Amino acid sequence: MFNKTKKLMLAFTMLTILNVSTAMEHHHTNYTTTEIVINDPWVRLSPPNAPALGLFMQINNNTNYDIKLLSVNASGYKRIELHRTVAQGDMMKMAKQEFMPIPTKGKLHLKPGSWHIMLIGPKSVLRKGDTVMIDLVFDNGLTKTVYAQVRKEKKMTGNHHRMMY
Amino acid sequence: MNNKLLSGIGVVALVIATFYFTSPNKNYKDLEKQLKVSYVLHNPDKKLPFFSLVDHNNNKFDNNNFKGKWTLLSFIYTHCPDVCPTGLMDMSILKSTLIKRGINIVPNLVAITFDPARDTPGVLKTYVTYFDKDFLGVSGDQVQINQLIKPFGAYYERVVYAKNGKPTVLKNDEPLPKGVLEFGYLINHTAWIYLLNPDGQIFAGFPAPHNPIKMADDIELLIKNY
Ligand SMILES: [Cu+2]
Repeated sequence: MFNKTKKLMLAFTMLTILNVSTAMEHHHTNYTTTEIVINDPWVRLSPPNAPALGLFMQINNNTNYDIKLLSVNASGYKRIELHRTVAQGDMMKMAKQEFMPIPTKGKLHLKPGSWHIMLIGPKSVLRKGDTVMIDLVFDNGLTKTVYAQVRKEKKMTGNHHRMMY
Repeated sequence: MNNKLLSGIGVVALVIATFYFTSPNKNYKDLEKQLKVSYVLHNPDKKLPFFSLVDHNNNKFDNNNFKGKWTLLSFIYTHCPDVCPTGLMDMSILKSTLIKRGINIVPNLVAITFDPARDTPGVLKTYVTYFDKDFLGVSGDQVQINQLIKPFGAYYERVVYAKNGKPTVLKNDEPLPKGVLEFGYLINHTAWIYLLNPDGQIFAGFPAPHNPIKMADDIELLIKNY
């Protein structure tokens, strides 16, 4: 009984999120209802024994000040870390970060080969199409809950986006 | 007179032939200018040293496994959530692209781990075959792996983070400190994909990020001129 209600609520929330993000993509305006807007959160579909999973999204900061993503919480993982992959010569370095900076009226794009959230030690195997609930904690006191979709690679969001992964 | 001319031509031909056969590199260097995303690493004077590792079915994996077939190879570690899965996916796409184009090569897909302490054959099998059923994961002795990656120009370093967030780089030639396996470490590493020729020698390399379609164009050109 409780599960059913929970599922319904989840579906409703997801629909709302979906509506907001499609609306944003279509109009390309800065019109938003919130200070921080998360677009297209997704978890990379990975082998069943993958020790760590990559979580990616776009974080838009509509406030008049710079903000920081401080931490990420989700149940079912040993640890969650903020990471950034940078190329240094030939070497790909994946370094742990204290926070992720999102500039005022700007955005941070978390994507493969760049900024990402690392979900370490998943306690269950995620399948294609699964949804992961994640809390993002920011330094301005805001916490955002997002529902990330498990999928293989970045979906095309438009012709102006080059698909790399 | 005629004889002199003939022997003259003979000498010239011999010189050209000697030059041609002893430095095929020259040949590939011209070819390299037409390549989009690859480097020719072929060097007949530097053979791949002997190595002996273990594949994901617990069979011996050594130089002979690179012979008789073209091979696409990369070095990975499974605790990598970002760079390595992308590379493995690219290799699988590259393989299907080559097969689709009917270039007459079906390359071996091989992924050798930088991190045999955690990537045992069993772990590798589940991991790499997820990206392509034809992938062969290779583990084995860390010292041998450290030796093998050198001629490829590949390298890596393990990084451990202290509680206060301070990173420490571990030495590759020293045993892992106690507790590090449980706590975990990251590995900074090169992320090239390599093409080995049917003689089992390093032939070409592709730096990250990879574009499988352009790589397939280059490989087509390389193999036609092989
Ligand atoms: Cu990696």
